[in-house]
Amino acid sequence: MRPGTLARLTLAGTRTDTARVALTALSAALATLAGLAALTVLAIPEVPGDEWAQAEQYSNSLLRGPGLRGGTAFALLLLTVPVLALAGQCARLGAPARDRRLAAFRLAGATPGQVTGIAVLETGVAALLGALVGLAVHLGGRELLDRPDANGRLALPTDVLPSTGALAAVVLGLPVLAAAATALLLRRVTTTPFGVVRRVRREQAPRPWPGLLIGAGLAAGLLALPMLRAGDGPDLAPPGWLLVLLVVGGVLAATLGVVLGAGWISFTSGRLLHRFGRGPAALLAARRLMADPWAGSRTFGALLAAVLFGAGAAAQRSALALSDRVQREEHRLFGVTDGANPFYLRTMDLVDLAVAVAVAIAAGGVLVAVVEGIVARRRAYAALLATGVPRGTLNGSIAWQALVPAVPAILVALTVGLLLGRGYAGRVQTGSISGTVCDAGPELCADPATRGRYLRTVEPVQRQLTPDVPLEQLALIGAGALAAVLVTVGVGLLFLRVSTAVEELRTT
Amino acid sequence: MTQLQARGVVKAYGPTPALRGITLDVAEGEIVAVSGPSGCGKSTLLHCLAGILRPDAGEVLWRGHRIDTWSEAARSRLRRTEFGVLFQFGQLVAELTAAENVALPLLLAGTGRREARTAALTWLERFGVAEVADVRPGQMSGGQQQRCATARALVTEPRVLFADEPTGALDTLAGEQVLTQLVRLAREQETAVVLVTHEPRIAAYADREVVLRDGMVDHTGLGLDAPLAGGRR
Amino acid sequence: MSTPHVLLGLLAGGTKHGYELKRAHDERLPRARPLAFGQVYATLGRLQRDGLVTAAGQEREGGPDRTAYALTGAGHAALDRWLAEVEPPMPYVASTLFAKVLVALMVADVDRARSYLIAQRHAHTDRLRELTGIKTSATASLDDVVAVDFAIAHLDADLRWLHTTLERVADWHREVHS
Repeated sequence: MRPGTLARLTLAGTRTDTARVALTALSAALATLAGLAALTVLAIPEVPGDEWAQAEQYSNSLLRGPGLRGGTAFALLLLTVPVLALAGQCARLGAPARDRRLAAFRLAGATPGQVTGIAVLETGVAALLGALVGLAVHLGGRELLDRPDANGRLALPTDVLPSTGALAAVVLGLPVLAAAATALLLRRVTTTPFGVVRRVRREQAPRPWPGLLIGAGLAAGLLALPMLRAGDGPDLAPPGWLLVLLVVGGVLAATLGVVLGAGWISFTSGRLLHRFGRGPAALLAARRLMADPWAGSRTFGALLAAVLFGAGAAAQRSALALSDRVQREEHRLFGVTDGANPFYLRTMDLVDLAVAVAVAIAAGGVLVAVVEGIVARRRAYAALLATGVPRGTLNGSIAWQALVPAVPAILVALTVGLLLGRGYAGRVQTGSISGTVCDAGPELCADPATRGRYLRTVEPVQRQLTPDVPLEQLALIGAGALAAVLVTVGVGLLFLRVSTAVEELRTT
Repeated sequence: MTQLQARGVVKAYGPTPALRGITLDVAEGEIVAVSGPSGCGKSTLLHCLAGILRPDAGEVLWRGHRIDTWSEAARSRLRRTEFGVLFQFGQLVAELTAAENVALPLLLAGTGRREARTAALTWLERFGVAEVADVRPGQMSGGQQQRCATARALVTEPRVLFADEPTGALDTLAGEQVLTQLVRLAREQETAVVLVTHEPRIAAYADREVVLRDGMVDHTGLGLDAPLAGGRR
Repeated sequence: MSTPHVLLGLLAGGTKHGYELKRAHDERLPRARPLAFGQVYATLGRLQRDGLVTAAGQEREGGPDRTAYALTGAGHAALDRWLAEVEPPMPYVASTLFAKVLVALMVADVDRARSYLIAQRHAHTDRLRELTGIKTSATASLDDVVAVDFAIAHLDADLRWLHTTLERVADWHREVHS
């Protein structure tokens, strides 16, 4: 096949294909930005000296401390997770129609390689364009945001750039990765031209096994970790790698459990809605949830992960706030009055910002999934409208379908995140400092002769305090996630309006 | 007694005219076939008569009231209560079982779920597909799907049934069986039928055949694509 | 024609009088042309002459002579042979319809042929509707449906031919007169 023919066939799609290409490019751009940001933070040169040496050129303490930089880079890399989830959703947009088109090419005599080439070209070029845009935005942003403050310090690491090799790896690696994923997903179409004509649906209802994953994650956080911490003394201290394994493994297991559990939640909420719901809208939604429960996992996965992280961060914040308060109170006993230490809380603000960004990106994924669900069913919807089914019933069924599984799934994610966050933050110990205080004025205290008379030993009670449940913040996260779902449903309903014109009755 | 009327209906999709002034009456309980070659405007006429499309010019009257000026909500209600609509394929909700699909119009009308299911089962029985009541359309044959769709179109005992190539996707025997049963039941409950088809054999199920050509009623009844002698097209 | 074989087939079920044979024939083939008594007796006479049926007794009940007929061994064999034989599928393309259009083109012009085709198409369509009506009536038996479907399929085939010929009649005329 000549390159011109290949390009022509690649561009032979519909509006939906255009939308998919645009969204693929967009998510590639976002992923590039997140990756480049992380690499840039990692590219900050090590400051010579001891391990506490600060990178003085920055005003942002996240960048100054060598210990925090790694965490910052990791958080930025984590942001690529919802972006990749978004990319996955985008790849599904209009996929059945594209698969049919590709299968038609196969029937017309195209080899499997040629068909794969068409699809891979589409995704690869779109991702490459997106990555280049991301690179351009990164470089442009670097110029624009390079504003040193009065002390000549920078808010962002606009003075460093990852090595050319790293830049090239991101900008070229991403399209290659996307193209490889496309080729992998197309196996079914390319093996047989009829592969897509008859689709075998997984009829088996999801089982609540993902609950075990959640349980394992929580067990790691709530049982194993405190037990290891309790082992006092240097010889009993657990090896560092075990702690890291427990934390990372526990969070991963619980997150995976919540995401996969969304399938079971979808199915079960669908079954309950079928049994107890009233009216045709509830019936339609319930049956759709039961027919494809994994759609729930696919749709809400990234959102639920973001909510879980947000809830964990909220628990961390409340633990940090408590320990800060305890510290200040105890310092006051020694006559030292310091203001609230904003450092950790400011760090948490950044984490919250990251969570908010993740929720927003994940909401984009939800939107794409909702729209895809509507577009894929547009003929059936158009037929229903033609037979006199009120638009309100269809709108209602779509809203039910999104909200009925979303509410319990978000609640589960919040709970799991909160429990994990509390488990990893641990309880706050009081009375960790003790010492003597001189109660007299500075003169008396300065004199070694009189000082002894005014000395008092202060020994705060040793207690373990449990941080409060940050209800307000949890509610905020939950409401935010729910609002994101509502907004996507709203936009989805607009799509329903345009994609159920009576002309759709003529399409096959 | 005329109950549905089209008067000089004109409809175009962009610059392409689909209907160029159609006048047609459908009496109570009458079965009218609308036939003609592909692209003659059959389906568009059906959509206009059923209040799915609004004509660009002309009038559509239901029992003497102009429905083409009604709001979409009002026309939707009319379709739901007085009309039944049947397409060639793909109208069943893939996620609902056969019985639920058939019960859907009743549920929309406010019937209780149990009552609606009983009625749906009766109708599935009438079309000989009671055995697929709890099966989803994906697992049915084309003939079974179309029987379910026909049952759904008739379950509210509409006054007019609009059928657009209802047997177009079926083999001959399945098509004959669906149509025979449709016509029998329509006559039984005095439902008028507007039957769009391009096959003479299907049109023969009607009391009367209206042939369209190039968006107009063809009084020669030929519906030919080729120009006739004398240069008329 | 198939009438002798239909009678043989009816007799295969048991001995019958001429009158019973006529009634059974009309009942089984409801849409065929009804059999005349004379034709029944003439056919039976020929079958008896050929040794395929035999008179199985006579009744005289103050009325006309009523002879019952039974199938002979040769009759069974003849019936078997006939059933095993495949009918030649339209060995000659010949039909009054076809011939009439051709003759119209030869002796008259395109318009004459076309108006014949249109009139025939109307007649076919009317008959098609009539037969379809029989099929959809609530009392239709499977006998009716199968018999009517046979005719419907043929009418439908004729109609398709009429339709395509109407589209080509001008070209055909040109060829006939070239």
